[in-house]
Amino acid sequence: MADPIKLAYFMAVKEGASYLGGLLVTDTSGIPLDFRYTEPITPTRLQSILYGKSLEPHLKEEVIQKTLLKELKTPPDLFILSATELAGGWSGEAKYPVMAVQKSQESPLAKVGDTFRAGPRELLIQLAEGAAPLRVMFANSVDAAAQEQAVVKLLEAGYHMDLAEPLERVTAALQSLVVKDA
Amino acid sequence: MFGRVKDAMADAAETLRQAFAGLTVVAVAPEPFLPRSHGSATLAAVGLTGLEPPVTACREMLLLRDATEGKALEPFHALLHDEAGWATWGAAAEVVRMTPLEAGHATRVAMPPLPRKAQALGRMEPPFRPIPRRQLDPLTNPGTRRLDPTLAGGGVEPGLEAMLSLAVPIRAEDIHQLPKGMWMRYSLQLVRGTGENVRNLEVLGLFRIPRKGVADLRHDPGLGRILVRLEASAVQAPRAPFILARRKDDGGLVSCFVEDP
Repeated sequence: MADPIKLAYFMAVKEGASYLGGLLVTDTSGIPLDFRYTEPITPTRLQSILYGKSLEPHLKEEVIQKTLLKELKTPPDLFILSATELAGGWSGEAKYPVMAVQKSQESPLAKVGDTFRAGPRELLIQLAEGAAPLRVMFANSVDAAAQEQAVVKLLEAGYHMDLAEPLERVTAALQSLVVKDA
Repeated sequence: MFGRVKDAMADAAETLRQAFAGLTVVAVAPEPFLPRSHGSATLAAVGLTGLEPPVTACREMLLLRDATEGKALEPFHALLHDEAGWATWGAAAEVVRMTPLEAGHATRVAMPPLPRKAQALGRMEPPFRPIPRRQLDPLTNPGTRRLDPTLAGGGVEPGLEAMLSLAVPIRAEDIHQLPKGMWMRYSLQLVRGTGENVRNLEVLGLFRIPRKGVADLRHDPGLGRILVRLEASAVQAPRAPFILARRKDDGGLVSCFVEDP
């Protein structure tokens, strides 16, 4: 029996002048298997000046994400983040495919399991009968072969769960943790 | 050339000597000097007993008259001496014998060279000339400080409990996609598990949820899913198919886990 698919959902939020991120690992039903979050990181004024516009991408990708991934015992099968983060130039790791999932407003595809490639790194997946297809965008590090393998796993997981929903849970959990610390 | 000049001069001297060689000096009785003027007053000498010494005072002395130096100056006294000229003025004439020219010695005078470069006068000095000064005390090197701009990742906290406090939506599987035999088996287990008549049950969905650790379960009819609140034990619990159904007579919800064939 194959190992169950693990999906990692990463989200980093900015609360005031601090940044914190969370990593949720779920099974194909969306049930949490692990969740870790970082302590809030508050850049100093000097760091903000020296890093400039690269401060936020650097913090999220190089600092928060890598710190959280070090805590994982086994690498995830899919690394999913928000479309906004991916559009910011996320490079990602070669160990696992990095992608963003987003609910679309497109017309449903013919049947469940159908895919439509909208671009070299973007495609639509029909996961539920009659529902709008899910938009999937891959990072630059994911080649075509890795994309095909990832689509198979997405279809399997999407049969049981809403693939975009866990990101909302991570955001809600981080906000609740910030309120609790305050 | 000098020889010719010398000869010429000698000839001239000999000529003059011969010209004046025959002259004799004749003593002439002096005649009184009578001025021959026309209507002018006769020049007469007035004999005085004595001349007062004229006092010569130049302008400078006049200016210094009242000064101490001026007072110290001795006045200039003129003295009258014997004047023989008056007596011999018209009586005799003195013959002046000219000495013949002689050859002199010529010396060559070297001409100073002309200056090669004219000296410019009236050149103005630069109006301002900075005076360099030396700072004896060197500037001390400033101290260097280092501020590490590295952004540290900070600590990582486990937050599974916080995550489990949030409801987990689980989508229902499409029972129409199941094999008919399997669905018949599931239906039989549902009737046995709930004790309800199969005709009185409306199946809401087949869900795969943890077999234990489910603290709360709610049905979301709008999206056809269930929202479960889990406990920590649910993480490691095996997933099992779960059928949720509604009684048609009273609308109550019934559910049961079923076994995979």
